[in-house]
Amino acid sequence: MVHRNGNYAAGVRLSAALAALMALPLFTPALAGPTEQAARLYGRITGVPPSATVQAQLSADIAQGNAGAIAAAQLAMQNPNFYNVTLRNFAAPMTNKAQSQFVPLNDYTALIIGMIRDNVPFNTVLSADLLYVGNTAGAPAYSPANNNHYQYLDDNGVDLSQALQPATQSGLLGLPTAATAGVMTTAAGSGAFFFKGTNRAMVRFTMINYMCNDLPQIMDITRPPDRIRQDPTRSPGGDSRIFLNSCIGCHSGMDALAGAFAYYDFNVATNQMVYTPSQVQGKYAINTANFPVGYVTVDDSWKNYWRSGSNQVMGWSSALPGTGNGAKAFGQEMAGSQQFATCQVQKVFQAMCLRPPSTAADQAQVTQITADFVAANYNMKTAFAESAVYCMGQ
Amino acid sequence: MKRFNAAPYCLALIAAVLLSACSGGASVTANPNLQANVSAQVYSGPAPATADVQAFETNLWVNISPANRCGNCHKAGGQVPQFARADDINLAYAAALTVVNLSQPETSIMVAKVAGGHNCWLASAQACADILTTWISNWAGGNSASTGGTQIQLVAPPLQTVGQTKVYPVDPTLFSQTVYPVVTQWCSRCHSESAASPQSPYFASANLEEAYLAAQPKMDLNTPTNSRFYQRLAIDSHNCWGSPVSCPNSAATMLAAIQAFANGVQPTAVDPTLIVSGALGLTQGIVASGGGRYDAHDIAKWMFKETPGTSTAFDTSGVDPGMDLTLAGDAQLISGWGITFGPAGGRAQASTSTSAKLLNMIGVSGQYSIELWMNPANVTQTKAEIASYSGGDTTRNFTVTQNAFEFAAYGRSSGTDLNGAPPLNTAANPMLIQSALQHVVVTYDPTNGRKVYVNGVFTGDTDTITGGALNNWDSSFAFLLGNETSGDRPWQGTLRFAAIHDVALTQQQVQQNFAAGVGAVYDLLFDISSLINVPQSYILFSASQYDSYSYLFARPTFINLNPNYVPSGSLPIQGIRIGINGAEAAVDQAFIPLSVNVNSTDYNATTGQLLSPLGTVILLENGAANDQFFLTFGTIGTLTRAYPDPAPPTPTPVITAAPSDVGVRVFDEINATMAAQTGVSPGLSAVNTVYQSLQQQLPSVYDISSVSAAAQIGISQLAMQYCQALVNDPVLGPSFFPGMNFSAAPGAAFGTTAGMDQIITPLYNNLIGRNLATQPPDVVPTNDPVRQELYNLITGLSTGSSTTPVVTMAACTAVLGSATMLVK
Repeated sequence: MVHRNGNYAAGVRLSAALAALMALPLFTPALAGPTEQAARLYGRITGVPPSATVQAQLSADIAQGNAGAIAAAQLAMQNPNFYNVTLRNFAAPMTNKAQSQFVPLNDYTALIIGMIRDNVPFNTVLSADLLYVGNTAGAPAYSPANNNHYQYLDDNGVDLSQALQPATQSGLLGLPTAATAGVMTTAAGSGAFFFKGTNRAMVRFTMINYMCNDLPQIMDITRPPDRIRQDPTRSPGGDSRIFLNSCIGCHSGMDALAGAFAYYDFNVATNQMVYTPSQVQGKYAINTANFPVGYVTVDDSWKNYWRSGSNQVMGWSSALPGTGNGAKAFGQEMAGSQQFATCQVQKVFQAMCLRPPSTAADQAQVTQITADFVAANYNMKTAFAESAVYCMGQ
Repeated sequence: MKRFNAAPYCLALIAAVLLSACSGGASVTANPNLQANVSAQVYSGPAPATADVQAFETNLWVNISPANRCGNCHKAGGQVPQFARADDINLAYAAALTVVNLSQPETSIMVAKVAGGHNCWLASAQACADILTTWISNWAGGNSASTGGTQIQLVAPPLQTVGQTKVYPVDPTLFSQTVYPVVTQWCSRCHSESAASPQSPYFASANLEEAYLAAQPKMDLNTPTNSRFYQRLAIDSHNCWGSPVSCPNSAATMLAAIQAFANGVQPTAVDPTLIVSGALGLTQGIVASGGGRYDAHDIAKWMFKETPGTSTAFDTSGVDPGMDLTLAGDAQLISGWGITFGPAGGRAQASTSTSAKLLNMIGVSGQYSIELWMNPANVTQTKAEIASYSGGDTTRNFTVTQNAFEFAAYGRSSGTDLNGAPPLNTAANPMLIQSALQHVVVTYDPTNGRKVYVNGVFTGDTDTITGGALNNWDSSFAFLLGNETSGDRPWQGTLRFAAIHDVALTQQQVQQNFAAGVGAVYDLLFDISSLINVPQSYILFSASQYDSYSYLFARPTFINLNPNYVPSGSLPIQGIRIGINGAEAAVDQAFIPLSVNVNSTDYNATTGQLLSPLGTVILLENGAANDQFFLTFGTIGTLTRAYPDPAPPTPTPVITAAPSDVGVRVFDEINATMAAQTGVSPGLSAVNTVYQSLQQQLPSVYDISSVSAAAQIGISQLAMQYCQALVNDPVLGPSFFPGMNFSAAPGAAFGTTAGMDQIITPLYNNLIGRNLATQPPDVVPTNDPVRQELYNLITGLSTGSSTTPVVTMAACTAVLGSATMLVK
């Protein structure tokens, strides 16, 4: 603080100098050479500028052409800041309803960082029996009832690129393997999206975070409403037109999918997820008098009504039936779609290019990167590398 | 048993067979004087022979026997049947049996005659019919605590075929020439995939075919005014346009476009490829509701069956005087039996004199119940008075109020103040009120005080004010719905039913009335005999008008009216769709996934075979009197009709101009970058403390245009901490600024350009860049704006009382906190 240093005049001059420096025109020539490309590539991937040595090495690689540039990107991804900064920022907003980046490290974020680091096929992010915990001396043991373990890693600036070790949810959370579903059944994921409510939040935020579409973009009033539960009123305020023209568009598809989470809840008192196999949670039977002839949830079966209608364009997998039981199968249904792959690439593209895909060239590039991402067995580093190279400047 | 209340007002009733008795000759019988004010007859004949005769006397005869009612004609020696005769109650009973239906009182000949307008004493024949139904129901025992329902006798409906209708042409050309230009001009900023914030459905898409598919559920070619496109503008004032903006003009433009579209489409017979059942209107169904209520002690009742647009809601309790409610302000009777109170504030109020009935009768019983079927417009309104018997904001006998999700029940007694306070608030059950149809009962008795039941369940809220007497009630108050008498506490929503009882209903009675439901429910038998080649085969639906805008169809059941029928083998039924006015409803087809096999195991000769326990809501088009329904099937028996899912058009990628090629580092990238560039550990306490406090002040998104002044201040503060740690560190400082003598006075250290370069050059090398074309050039010593700015800064600071480390920190901060670090 300027005032703490006891020199007000210095503070005034410093402020003036800062303002002057901030006002300087940016030096962004239309054409940049390998050196500038290396600096941007590295900065986008790691969030920090490269050392002189690294910059020279990357520059040399980039000068070799596209393959060299990809190699340079892969090299940049070895920097710890790719995991500690870039990937953490990539994952953190997906772990909470407010979509805030300013949340403590948690098992959801760590799982994504670990999967990308270890080249785990990312299409298992919604179904894997996987966790990542810190192999750090002094850290509290992982607990499904608190975040102390990850808070310790956070508070002590532990390098996640080195410390994270894979573990299983079935082992640490005590879930049956069949009930594990990647990020959805982490402590943080369940705490965010099984917290109170009706478990529809897990569907909505899965669509936002992994299908890049919120409900207003997905709603389709032509889908059958037979799985809409009893609690949504069919006549809001005495006007059923609202239901027939709006509510049904989301609930018909969403409620049919949310059956997958019928056995899950988050116990506020114990601060941890609850899983009751074969027993539907009470939150699925609230406000039943609102529409007594609505759907009564009897098990954890789900249907994907969005396989038909306007949401066919999501490219659902023909290898999957579109129906199933439980969160794991739901996660596989989502991750098996073309839209899942496209969405991951779109998110990576935005992280590396600092903008969404915009131009026709951008769209074509996203299509190409998506194909490469899938061909590389959903290796997220492929998406990061190709996106960073595409946006490293010319 | 309902007690007879001596009628102070004139009533008259001519029963069912009067017309036939008077017809066939030249003589004319004068109508009774409906305005005459007479008392009930005094009976002095033989005692009732049975308990049922006694029930007839006390519930029906005593109400219809006065001379200004049936007693004027249907008396002893008068017209037959002489059910109002006063000489022998047993003979009157026998005569009455010929014109009533005790199992379904509302279907009685006597009721039907009055409902047809025959000498009704009120402005509403329906209200007279309802009152008469109440009297017959009371005789029949409908007022008992029994919860048993009556068995509905299913009768085959008339065989009708589906009428003509307009269907959407496959070719979107006509749409493109009529409605499409309007929606693309005025709706595409949201309802297209290329919008900044796309809002489905994309009926204004640049892709015509996609827009056409999305627009079809929003239009009604048979009744264009029912089109959602039109109603959103005309009723909801949804994003109207024009200069000045005019919703009426916008709505007219849209309606004209839809009308033009509709005019270009010729009515056609129902799609011949569909597998279609017989057709029915709602009222061609069999009445399946109306019984089962506990009405023994209702002293005022409103069913809101009156014609929409009229201004009186009649008290149909049959207990005089009738507390007929006069509508005022934003209150209107609606189709499907109900009254709606709108946002402008309205009320339905009884006169003070008729309202005194409540005081007179409840004052005797010392207990009461207020029963409502209500659907609040929202759950945010507070101090919204749903039902009140009061004189203003501060004086009342009782009031039921909505406070967001909670009820507040005010009730004056000797234990409360004159405002009925403190109220009983339903805090024990959060979010009790839903913006949905709910059955609500507030009871009061001296032992328990006030209790609230919602959907048949006691809320659990216990009244602390008990033992109060009601002898301080005020007879000058008026009863009203939807507001306070002062008009400043409006409630928004719809009431489908209201009643006042002069007892505190028990939990069982509340549940009985909740189970009885509200509104008219019909059993609709859709003929499928010809589809499966089995006579008398039907799909039975329980159907009702759900609100002013829709119908509810529930619990489809296969049934054959031949009591000896037994399914042979397995009859597959799949994919039921409900049709209305010649076309399948576009939305809310809950029975599409249905797939059931009718078989002898699951089929019951009396109840049939339930196909689904679900219900679905179908949009009303021309009103319950005109809409015609039918069913279609994906599969029934050996018939199958495919419903291929049309492939949606491939969405057009949203192409926009390339935005900025650069962005800014976000909060933790800034922290990591400053740490990397200065060599100071981010875990250093002084630095980390500042970072944690500033974290959310720093940029959180990459967009360079989002960087605020507050963010830049935060960056500067963090840079200062890093530079302070750097300069003060005995290892990092000398290493970063090789050869710099920090103990020298500023004047000595920075007296020359070379001296200043001792810190500026390291700052350039470590913080700005290494000859990157994307960073400011380092052209020593002239024409370099960065270096020149730093010279000025250092020179200015060196003339004061600063020390060399402080000047160094300032120069370091100026560079580290600048765009050279921030932009990436």
